[in-house]
Amino acid sequence: MAMAMCGLSGWLWLAGQSDHAPGHVTDNASVPVKLPVVARPPAQQPTVGLPADAHLDKTPPRATRGLDLVKAGWTYNCMECHQLFPARWHYGGTNRPLNEHKDIVLDHGNNRFCLNCHHPTNRNVFVDYDGAEIAQADVVKLCAKCHGTIYRDWQAGVHGRQNGYWQTELGPKTKLRCIQCHDPHSPKFKEMKPLPPLRYPARAANPPPAGQVEPPAHP
Amino acid sequence: MNNDPQNVASPKTIEQVYRPITRRTFLKGAAASMVGVAGLMAALKPLLELESGSVTLDELLQRHYRELKPEDLQRILASLAARAEQEYGVRPNLRDVKPMAGVEFGYALNLSRCIGCRKCAHACLAENNQSRDDEDDIEMSYIRVLELNQGAINLETSTAYFDPETVPQPDKYYMPVQCQQCRESPCTKVCPVQATWQEADGIVVVDYNWCIGCRYCMAACPYDARRFNYKKPTLKPEQINPNQSYLSNRIRPKGVVEKCTFCLHRTREGKYPACLEVCPTGARVFGNLLDPNSEINYILNHKRVYILKEDVGTQPRFYYFFDK
Ligand code: HEC
Ligand code: HEC
Ligand code: HEC
Ligand code: HEC
Repeated sequence: MAMAMCGLSGWLWLAGQSDHAPGHVTDNASVPVKLPVVARPPAQQPTVGLPADAHLDKTPPRATRGLDLVKAGWTYNCMECHQLFPARWHYGGTNRPLNEHKDIVLDHGNNRFCLNCHHPTNRNVFVDYDGAEIAQADVVKLCAKCHGTIYRDWQAGVHGRQNGYWQTELGPKTKLRCIQCHDPHSPKFKEMKPLPPLRYPARAANPPPAGQVEPPAHP
Repeated sequence: MNNDPQNVASPKTIEQVYRPITRRTFLKGAAASMVGVAGLMAALKPLLELESGSVTLDELLQRHYRELKPEDLQRILASLAARAEQEYGVRPNLRDVKPMAGVEFGYALNLSRCIGCRKCAHACLAENNQSRDDEDDIEMSYIRVLELNQGAINLETSTAYFDPETVPQPDKYYMPVQCQQCRESPCTKVCPVQATWQEADGIVVVDYNWCIGCRYCMAACPYDARRFNYKKPTLKPEQINPNQSYLSNRIRPKGVVEKCTFCLHRTREGKYPACLEVCPTGARVFGNLLDPNSEINYILNHKRVYILKEDVGTQPRFYYFFDK
């Protein structure tokens, strides 16, 4: 059933008709079909840090999405569509005839091909150099393919962030994964709004220069 | 709400705080200027406090923290916890967390990665039970996040009050400064009553029950890392972090000097400090200098590190480095 729907909608994408609104009704008035739109509910986020530290905001900079797409009561994975198409290496720029994944624009330096990361025949996983599968949960190994020195630093606990116990004999330590800080498709670390300035007491030894004596008021 | 002039957070009243006028503070100032009579100061201290009527008998009889017998310390902890519950509505889990054997703490901060978001400075307020929501609160965060021009190394041209729409700004870099936990700590040397000292794991602490608020240590600190608590903290019950230790984040009395303790109530129990827990960029690296496999030693062995104001000879346990 799901496959049949995908087949039908595959035809519609060819005609460039798909959009991302749920409950979409096709132009073909006689056959009202709900298109399987690729919707992205927030994936289950891995726990960060200790429950006792609820007073500290440890939210990672980026929420991961995962590869399982759920929409309108349907649960489908990448392969329910992708088994219908052959994998294409040269894809992107103007060569994107179909309508799916239009929101994904690769901005990852010289890493220009989707299939450098996504597995050509099993889209539910990532791909290693030799064509072996890298499971979603091991996404860090995907990044390690090309970022060896950073991966080494990450393993040593000095790139990325750790939470919980530094002394692991006393309790657990969690590590943020690469994609909890970097968007894999556009990995440059994103700018953010700073928290408001604090009003520090004037210095005893070193008074601040004029103009800084009266710090900004509280927001 | 607060009519005590010392509690109004305008620069003018800070001035007043710095030019004390009451008899009590005058006495303290006079005594503090008798350089070298530390013993006399130590003897005077309880009398001065008694005059202000702000100490309990328990505390009056208290000996210096380092001379306390364990059972006396337990009694004092219990009375402090009871008083905190009475005043703030939350019974803290107040302990005296001791240094761990074979541990000396070090901290490193990656300046290429810090973006100046201030999450560390705000987390510091919450972790350390600082009052922070009232109009008259001057935030006591032990971390100042400084913004500097790319290429500049002069801290005097930095500002802690930057507030752009987004950070990082292209032509700036950011440097959080907190207590550097110096090996040659000038602050502990100038204290006339030995209310501040270095612990076995390198953390410089203050006994808030012993501190007389003379602020000599603040003047001695080249990093501006100490804060004078000019106000009795106002905290709602839900703002209180109950995980407290005597020498770190217990709710402090007014009129003492406070500082970053590398969150010793966390780190001495094996946890990361609060500022590291919240850093979105992972710029902070913390660990045991005596463990060759620790994260901090990975930095010291693999990256080129700097220390702040090296020329003043303080030998910090806090390191800065540039690395992607
Ligand atoms: C650097 C490796 C990498 C490259 C190159 C890459 N992806 Fe991804 N992609 C990932 C990772 C990792 C995830 C999982 C993201 C998550 O869980 O947050 C993902 C998730 C996805 C998803 C599902 C989640 C979402 O964000 O929609 C789609 C669809 C996708 N990629 C399509 C593409 C397409 C199309 C390209 C080429 C234009 C591409 N990817 C290139 C690594 C890559
Ligand atoms: C609703 C159907 C559908 C689903 C579900 C789907 N895709 Fe696609 N995908 C497509 C279509 C159609 C294309 C071709 C787009 C084009 O040519 O413009 C495509 C292209 C791609 C490409 C570019 C390389 C290629 O072989 O064409 C990648 C990579 C990709 N999808 C990854 C994923 C991943 C990962 C998932 C699961 C998160 C996923 N897709 C789920 C329909 C789908
Ligand atoms: C197939 C090789 C490859 C894989 C796999 C890969 N990258 Fe990259 N990455 C690159 C290349 C090439 C660059 C560009 C380097 C440059 O321009 O100097 C890059 C750049 C980056 C940058 C710097 C971006 C910037 O503009 O500052 C980040 C961050 C990054 N990658 C993160 C990741 C993460 C996270 C993953 C895993 C999801 C990943 N990469 C997987 C090849 C790869
Ligand atoms: C806690 C968040 C965080 C995590 C987790 C994280 N990074 Fe980064 N990463 C950063 C920041 C911040 C930068 C510096 C800003 C930038 O250059 O985008 C950075 C920079 C990079 C760069 C660019 C380095 C350069 O020389 O320009 C690469 C590549 C990179 N990270 C890859 C990874 C990989 C691979 C992982 C997982 C093994 C990872 N990161 C995990 C925050 C993180």
